[in-house]
Amino acid sequence: MRFLNKITGLLTWLLPVSILFGVVAAWELWVRLADVPQWQLPAPSEIAKELGSSSDLLWDHTLVTLKEIVVGFLAALFAGLVLAGGIAYSRVLERSVYPIVIASQTVPIIAIAPLLLIWVGYGLTPKIIIVALICFYPIAVNTVDGLKATDPDMVNMLRTLGASRWQVFTKLQIPTALPFMFSGIKIGVSVSVIAAVIGEWVGASEGLGYLITYSQPLFLTARVFAAIFVLSVMGISLFMLAVIAEHLMMPWHFNEKRSNSMRQL
Amino acid sequence: MSTDTPVQPKIRIDSVHKSYVIDGRQQEVLAGVDLTVNEGEFVSIIGPSGCGKSTLLNIIAGLDQPDSGNIELSSENSDKHSGTASGRLGRTGYMQQKDLLLPWRSVLDNTILGLELRGVPRKQAREQAMEFTEAFGLQGFEHHYPYALSGGMRQRAAFLRTMLMGQDVVLLDEPFGALDALTRVQMQEWLLQLWESMNKTIVLITHDVDEALLLSDRVYLLTARPGRVTLVLDVDLPRPRHYDLVTSPEFGVLKARLMEPLRSQIQSIQSAGRSTGQTA
Repeated sequence: MRFLNKITGLLTWLLPVSILFGVVAAWELWVRLADVPQWQLPAPSEIAKELGSSSDLLWDHTLVTLKEIVVGFLAALFAGLVLAGGIAYSRVLERSVYPIVIASQTVPIIAIAPLLLIWVGYGLTPKIIIVALICFYPIAVNTVDGLKATDPDMVNMLRTLGASRWQVFTKLQIPTALPFMFSGIKIGVSVSVIAAVIGEWVGASEGLGYLITYSQPLFLTARVFAAIFVLSVMGISLFMLAVIAEHLMMPWHFNEKRSNSMRQL
Repeated sequence: MSTDTPVQPKIRIDSVHKSYVIDGRQQEVLAGVDLTVNEGEFVSIIGPSGCGKSTLLNIIAGLDQPDSGNIELSSENSDKHSGTASGRLGRTGYMQQKDLLLPWRSVLDNTILGLELRGVPRKQAREQAMEFTEAFGLQGFEHHYPYALSGGMRQRAAFLRTMLMGQDVVLLDEPFGALDALTRVQMQEWLLQLWESMNKTIVLITHDVDEALLLSDRVYLLTARPGRVTLVLDVDLPRPRHYDLVTSPEFGVLKARLMEPLRSQIQSIQSAGRSTGQTA
């Protein structure tokens, strides 16, 4: 049983890794055999070389993009949670603010991005705002859903124990909302990288998105790919950080799931 | 009867009516229920499903307001008026069929929930709860999360949460309904023992005739919807009681008296269900 578990555990890692490896190998072979020019499609080995040779350059731009993402994401998290709390707690806010929050998502952020340059200038601020605007929505909407997902029997139980409305909110609604909030955070984190790149495309002088737009017309295609590679590593790492935070904050959630699936076996 | 220690009614319910809109139709759930529970008594309410038992308990607990009728709760440590639902909220211990333990809290922290809401510091509340974990069969599991516990243990944890509030009136809504038969018998014996050692007034809702007779001083039988008291049976079996009592002839006599009206009611529900094409 334990041995079987180990094997299936290994397989879940081995399968995607070997598929990825196969794709990369095919890519390398194709470029070499068909003699594809470097500026059109560099071989993976060339991209790896580029990662090494311009690591200083990449690192500098990575720090800029990472800063935009982290600050923007934290702002979105704060705003999203406060607003979600307000919407779930107050019917007035739910009726007045929530529709606006939802409508705000229909506004194309890419169209706003150039305007932000006019309004707040050329520096990090417009990128941070774009990241925050994009991350905010999944966090807020998921958390609102979570805060409203409470079991009415639980609410009644708390009321018979003499709980006030505020106590029901803090002792029941907030913990119930945590798994939902983390779903929102994971979506937010995933799109935050894209948001930062969009922000830099519109107008920037630093950052990985800028590096891509700058390198492309110069046909430094290997560098473009290297920047893309760093961006996806960044995205995956941030996502894993969110998953780790999720496990640390809700050990009960995952143990419960595990014990339920064990029972089904 | 000597009157030097007058028996105090703890709960007095006079002609309580309640109707709800069910499937778009106004339906009467309780049609004038009268009920009295004296201090220290164990009273059971039994009846077919849908007779409004839980509604009645919700009304006593203050979760719901009756359309008409009076409810009085006498309790020494309250200045709130018991005539209104909000005045009754938090004045009784209330436990439901579902244990309703919070999955993110350890067993111990679940049991102190009520104390915590009342403002008792966590450390002090935990110490208070620890004194009872043995009697409630939770020793060694205080720091486990609820999912790791058996159904019986979870129910006992929920019961300890209720008891720690120190309310002298405790309402139990089919607390053993979700347990398997063996665990249920164990829990009944355990509750019997616990109640005999504590000075609590208990109202138990059940659909289990044996459970009602074994535990109670008095059993109220409700009719099918709309619920109305159709029989009040005093259970004058000696205490302390044990589960063996269930097989004794005296128990059988009482059971027969309770079963007969119950059975005829179930039959009338079934025939009504057939005639309207519904399943009971």
